[in-house]
Amino acid sequence: MAAVTTMLSRSPGRHHLLLMPAVLLVLALCAVAAPFVVGEGLLRLSSEILLIFAMAQMWNLLSGYAGLLSIGHQVFVGAGAYGMFALSIHAGVNPYVAIAFAPFVSGLLAALVAPILFRLRDAYFTIGMWVFSEIVTILVGKSNWLGGQNGLTLSALRDMDPDWISPISFWWAAFAAIGSLVLLAGLMRSRLGLALLAVRDNDVAASSLGIDVWRSRFIAFVISAAGTGLCGAIYFLGPAHILPAAGFDPNWVVIMLFICVVGGLGTIEGPIVGTIVYFGLRQAFATSGNWYLILMGSVAVVVMLVARKGLWGTLHARYGISLIPIRREPPSDKTFGI
Amino acid sequence: MTPLLETSDLQTFYGDFQALFGLDFSIAEGETVAMIGANGAGKSTFLRSIAGLNTQKKGTIRFAGEDITRLRADLISRRGIALVPEGRVMFPSLTVEENLLMGLGTDRAGAWTLKKVYELFPALTSIRHSSSVRISGGQQQMVAIGRALLTNPRLLLCDEISLGLAPKITNDIYACFSEIKASGTAIMLVEQDIVRACQAADRFYCLLEGRISLTGRPADFGIEVISRSYFGTGDHHGLA
Amino acid sequence: MAWLETIVNGLLVGSLYALFGLGAALTFGVAKIVNVAHGEFIVLSGFIGIMLVGIIPIHPLLLVPLVIVIVFAIGFILQMTLLNRVVGKDPIPPMLLTFGLSIVLKNAMVEVFGATPRSINMGGLRFKGMEVFGMTLGVLPVIIFVISVSLFVALHFFLKYTRVGRTLRATGDEAQFVQLFGVNYRRAFGVATALALSMSAAAGMMLAMRSTITPFTGGDRLLIAFEVVIIGGLGSMWGALIGGLILGVTHLVGLRIDPNSGLLYPDIVFFIILTIMPRGISGWRQ
Repeated sequence: MAAVTTMLSRSPGRHHLLLMPAVLLVLALCAVAAPFVVGEGLLRLSSEILLIFAMAQMWNLLSGYAGLLSIGHQVFVGAGAYGMFALSIHAGVNPYVAIAFAPFVSGLLAALVAPILFRLRDAYFTIGMWVFSEIVTILVGKSNWLGGQNGLTLSALRDMDPDWISPISFWWAAFAAIGSLVLLAGLMRSRLGLALLAVRDNDVAASSLGIDVWRSRFIAFVISAAGTGLCGAIYFLGPAHILPAAGFDPNWVVIMLFICVVGGLGTIEGPIVGTIVYFGLRQAFATSGNWYLILMGSVAVVVMLVARKGLWGTLHARYGISLIPIRREPPSDKTFGI
Repeated sequence: MTPLLETSDLQTFYGDFQALFGLDFSIAEGETVAMIGANGAGKSTFLRSIAGLNTQKKGTIRFAGEDITRLRADLISRRGIALVPEGRVMFPSLTVEENLLMGLGTDRAGAWTLKKVYELFPALTSIRHSSSVRISGGQQQMVAIGRALLTNPRLLLCDEISLGLAPKITNDIYACFSEIKASGTAIMLVEQDIVRACQAADRFYCLLEGRISLTGRPADFGIEVISRSYFGTGDHHGLA
Repeated sequence: MAWLETIVNGLLVGSLYALFGLGAALTFGVAKIVNVAHGEFIVLSGFIGIMLVGIIPIHPLLLVPLVIVIVFAIGFILQMTLLNRVVGKDPIPPMLLTFGLSIVLKNAMVEVFGATPRSINMGGLRFKGMEVFGMTLGVLPVIIFVISVSLFVALHFFLKYTRVGRTLRATGDEAQFVQLFGVNYRRAFGVATALALSMSAAAGMMLAMRSTITPFTGGDRLLIAFEVVIIGGLGSMWGALIGGLILGVTHLVGLRIDPNSGLLYPDIVFFIILTIMPRGISGWRQ
């Protein structure tokens, strides 16, 4: 199996131009069919898994690829969800449709704060991001328009057929998950993706090569925020109720961070592995209360000690395996004949 | 007689990049040896390998009979090898005197004391409480040498002391070497300036692209031959 | 007069914030580690204090040095066994390791100490007030202020005038090159983290004296600690003191304007300061 994937990844990109869409099509078809086959409970869990995965991938885009470590990403989860709720409640937009506008709300928020946050570098940015999310959380909690500390309820959903809520959530979640994969794979094959990697590895050198550092980071930041906001909106469709403490819960970023760290920051496959580990641990130890969280923290510590690049990142570094090839192989690559 | 320091087949790497290709080198107690070579020849890497700052290496380094190839850098300095690093490397949070006092960290007894360093470099006396980054390059170089001497080394490694300094100041600093030699310390000078290196040294090694291209006594070869070896335009290349 | 009292009280609580930040500044300044578990260590120290107060029948203030020593040892072991294995050019691995550690510590504390708010029983001292220039100030906050500022001064003299202090400063400048002077920089990192955590130990003890703590208090304290160091300029000790005092005053003045604002005003001040000085107060000078 490993040998096969190695070969796949090493053969030049043309095969994948066909392979990738085929795989995605199959995934999409499965997603369309799933609600008719799978029971309610499993469907909800699947939605959650897909959403968490997509969020982790968005965090990965910013922190792993653009090198901007954010510990305030929960602000975009909440912003997207609140945006969707507000549109539905105050403008009467159908909630299912309002979801589509959520990314614009969180993306806009990111675009507005970027000029300030981007003045800060490294650890300063990381912590500035956290403080920013705290400010937004407090302000939302004080806003009557957004329901203050009592939050908002998606009352429009009451008039709709309850049987369709879970399937539609699921489809949105599947769209977000597959979309995040396509987006990241596509981005990393683009000029922007290369620019981002260059900026992450050495921003001074990158800018001397004519790369607009600020612009590359800005685009990554806004895309990451928009995607995270979309996931937030979809997530809160199910409960149909949101509180500042839930929407802007720091645990959101803790989960994203855990998944990327354990799986491998800066790899597309890493968050897949990380998501599996996260939900595996959660499902297996959820009944043991805090011990499961202690275990989760320990896993993160151990991974940092023995496999600093994360599980997938370490495998990739050691054996060159990759499922979703995003690196452009040099034209002289001799593996063509394998 | 066993040499003070001896390397055999020393190879040093930076990741996948190899910088040194099997260097055999030796220096005796009290001797002064120059290592000359162009930019990027591997001179600094060689010194850093001996001092333990570069850890990716093969071959052996023996110091006073002991194999120190895998020894941690702080323990190497405690054995009596001091490095005056390229670019001087001040500790910016420390004053001039505090920088010098760092040299006492190896806890080695010997002739060098703070007082003697100030006698060697009187110019430092008046700036002893100044910030170490607000003084001139020549003064920084004196601090770097003084700091290394205070470790009371048996072997002093000096990396490009003349770099970026006015000739007069370089002369002043080189003038001190006779005094340092008199204290019995072996000195290894890395230089790009061939003439100066050959004047100061008993023996020289010429380093070219990570390999030793020529070695001997300066008087036996003359500056011209050494220069050719330095630039890699020796006879076997058919260029001159 | 009421406003002046608010400001003075802000300075008093700000000294504690400064102490939260001091440890973070020290770990960053010497070992270049952003310790995400810093808040948990503050709270853990508080709990150790609460435990010891139950066992050793002397005044809680006298137990502060003991807790400092215990946490010093914990910090040294932490750095030598765990953090030193991931330090290097990339600042992210140590940060992520401490992130995992913070989850472990927080939830382990929930298991051991429970989630109910606890505090150190200070007897009558807790609510004792005194008149100073017509203002009514709490005696305990004043004592805490004095201890905090003394710790800053003590650390200043230690770093400035002792050999270990000099070595720590040099290690913060050039960790690789201190090796040339017989210094094992990993051990220097160990001492730095140990010292940093001892400062948080004192802070945690005094926090548990002034107010209540739960295992979840760490998150907010970490935010304060980070704001303090960043306002001051990462790694700058005096910057941390000024940053802490600014935040303390803003916090109390903000709460006076709007009792439900939480940390909103300190957060906003943090942002304004950083927009003007992206490298913090001490970075501004250079």
